[in-house]
Amino acid sequence: MTDISPIIDIRNVSKLFGSLRALNNVSLSIRPSEKVVIIGPSGSGKSTLLRTINQLEQVDQGTILVDGQEVTSPDTDINKVRMELGMVFQSFNLFPHKTVLENLTMAPIKLKNVPKLEAESRAMGLLKKVGIQEKAHVYPTMLSGGQQQRVAIARALAMQPKIMLFDEPTSALDPEMIGEVLDVMVKLAREGMTMVVVTHEMGFAREVADRVVFMDAGTIIEEGTPEHFFTAPRHDRAKLFLSQIL
Amino acid sequence: MSTTPLSLDVSDGAAIPRKKDRGLFSAWWLSFIGALAITAFLCITRPDPYLRILAFVPDGILVTFQVTTLSILLALVLGLITGLGRISRNRALNLIASTYVEVIRGIPLLVQLFYIYYALAAIPYVSKLPPLASAVIAMGFCYGAYMGEVFRAGIESIDKGQTEAARSLGFNRRQTMLLVILPQAWRTILPPVGNEFIALLKDSSLVSILAVADLLRRGREFAGETFFYFEAYTIVALVYLVITLVLSKGVSHMESRLNYYDRH
Repeated sequence: MTDISPIIDIRNVSKLFGSLRALNNVSLSIRPSEKVVIIGPSGSGKSTLLRTINQLEQVDQGTILVDGQEVTSPDTDINKVRMELGMVFQSFNLFPHKTVLENLTMAPIKLKNVPKLEAESRAMGLLKKVGIQEKAHVYPTMLSGGQQQRVAIARALAMQPKIMLFDEPTSALDPEMIGEVLDVMVKLAREGMTMVVVTHEMGFAREVADRVVFMDAGTIIEEGTPEHFFTAPRHDRAKLFLSQIL
Repeated sequence: MSTTPLSLDVSDGAAIPRKKDRGLFSAWWLSFIGALAITAFLCITRPDPYLRILAFVPDGILVTFQVTTLSILLALVLGLITGLGRISRNRALNLIASTYVEVIRGIPLLVQLFYIYYALAAIPYVSKLPPLASAVIAMGFCYGAYMGEVFRAGIESIDKGQTEAARSLGFNRRQTMLLVILPQAWRTILPPVGNEFIALLKDSSLVSILAVADLLRRGREFAGETFFYFEAYTIVALVYLVITLVLSKGVSHMESRLNYYDRH
């Protein structure tokens, strides 16, 4: 497995928010098709780490390579790299002034010059995949949280990314809507998408993750397979966290 | 306990009626019907000066609208540039925009009008601008500064998540602003822009001192020739009132139509 070169390679990354060390010399590499779930208490830096991958957060030290391109370098066209990195946010962030369909077609049409009809038929396929094609022509505010998040996943997929980043995708949802979003993510994982997921959903981590990464105070404390991590964590911080959350 | 300080939002434009605000709504109708009724009453009971005045001022109404529309267009362009400058990371742009706003806000509009029309022409080799152009430039620059603040506030009112979502899809800064932020900010910006338009229309009466034949100027001319001061200025006031009331209604209507994607 080590002979496959990583699609995401985070090397010795540090990030400061004022005097707070949000990330402290973090390294992590992720292989193509791998599903990595990052967990940890709030304020541990897990979202910040995820957001450095597509440079929504810039790092103060260290380098990050995505598909061989150094995103931390100012010479890299970050907009190009971001087209390969789909991102799903906690608060969905759909464009409220566009219909569901337009949310999906806007980026492919404007950024990849996909003809409108082709973009629309692809978008309809994606909406079908996430189970809400009947809502294609409504505005996002008319959808439930779970529906909005599924649209947000479809919107990211419409750019045909190589990697999907999920930043606590179910944390803002009512409990009865979490399942429908996780189902879509499981389906995506089965199709072989490379996924990096920050979540508190331990059931999802167990079922889908190839690797669980536990962070605390800006560093990766422990990583391993879900079986190993959930049954026999080595570090006390991880044990404590698991006892609190499970 | 909430620590949000109490804020008062007072504008010099005509009040924009809100759909649910019954009090303001009926105040609007009272003013509007009242103004029309008084005008009709005056014209019927004393057609001699009043109908003549009413026939004399429409040319001025056109000029008032011309000055107002041209000024607001200039103000919108300057306002957009200024608003973007004020939120720009580029320090020089930011400083230029902020200084423009500070300077303009600190000088009365009447002084700015005099300055552009009379003072600039006193500089050797600078020819005097035509009155209409001076008026439009002075009012456009003055309101552009206010409009800049409206644009800035409108842009900043859009959730940061919108920018992040657009950028994460691969849109650059400019595309994000044009495709995602401004179309949404417009909804926040439009009511105050409408308000500024109405305020500008009223302030446009100042240009009558530059010999621009606007509504007030026409009233003055009529009064000057016939000595019907009371009658002429009464009609001028009523016409301004009716125009601003109709416009504020229009802005209110536009505002409610802009909420199309918020219906649940």
